[in-house]
Amino acid sequence: MIKASVEPWIEVPLRTFVEDAGVSLALLLHPNGQVLAQYGFSRAMDIMSACALAAAIHVSANELGRQLEGKPFSGMHHAGKERQVFLAEAQTKRGPYIFLTVFDEASSLGLVRMYFDEFRVNLANASPPPPESPEPILNENFERDLNRSLAALFGRA
Amino acid sequence: MSDFTAVLDTLIRQRGVRGSLVVSAGDGIPVDSNLQFGQDGNRVAALAASLYRKARRSAQAAGLGGTGFMQLEAETGRLCIIGGDEIVLVVVAERSANVGLIRVEMLRAAEALA
Repeated sequence: MIKASVEPWIEVPLRTFVEDAGVSLALLLHPNGQVLAQYGFSRAMDIMSACALAAAIHVSANELGRQLEGKPFSGMHHAGKERQVFLAEAQTKRGPYIFLTVFDEASSLGLVRMYFDEFRVNLANASPPPPESPEPILNENFERDLNRSLAALFGRA
Repeated sequence: MSDFTAVLDTLIRQRGVRGSLVVSAGDGIPVDSNLQFGQDGNRVAALAASLYRKARRSAQAAGLGGTGFMQLEAETGRLCIIGGDEIVLVVVAERSANVGLIRVEMLRAAEALA
């Protein structure tokens, strides 16, 4: 199984979560859909699709929450026949990130939620402060940045 | 008040019992609980249900059939678990608690919940 992160400070919290919760896939991404870390994916294409879908689901769920309850929903869970998906937001010093994980009967929603709470704290503690002059996020750079991240994750950097 | 409140109240009245929970077996999420201040029901539920699931699988793998009553002895107390396919009943008790009595009450409770 491939376990990797674009930024090294994410690696320990992610590895701890994956080992404790017993999940089969995990993905941490920026709300704009850029991947930051992954566990369990073997193809860059799958990560690209998962990131795009997770970012879209997250923004839709946030808006739905605002419409229904006046505030964004904090997480989402979908139970399939054999596998389940959990998606939630994690706040760091660098801003919010989206976390997506897939698990089967080897784990449970209770365990995933419990270890996600710990992951969220570990991630916030491990995150470095934002860069003083961050590079602006531009649409024209999206594909370049995505390819850079995927190359780093799959050892092609 | 849920359908499980009476069952949990009966269990919590036993001497040395510090908490009781009805947990969804598959999800590990508490359905109802009666806990003392300071206990994190969500954590106890998630971990106890996971433990019970793994114990059931271990017993099956060893060809021992179904799992009945399960007891975990810790430094300052015990965790007693009994369950089925959908519901797991968890009792958190002190070390000095009468496990025999707790077991009987849990078996009765499990029958009532079935």
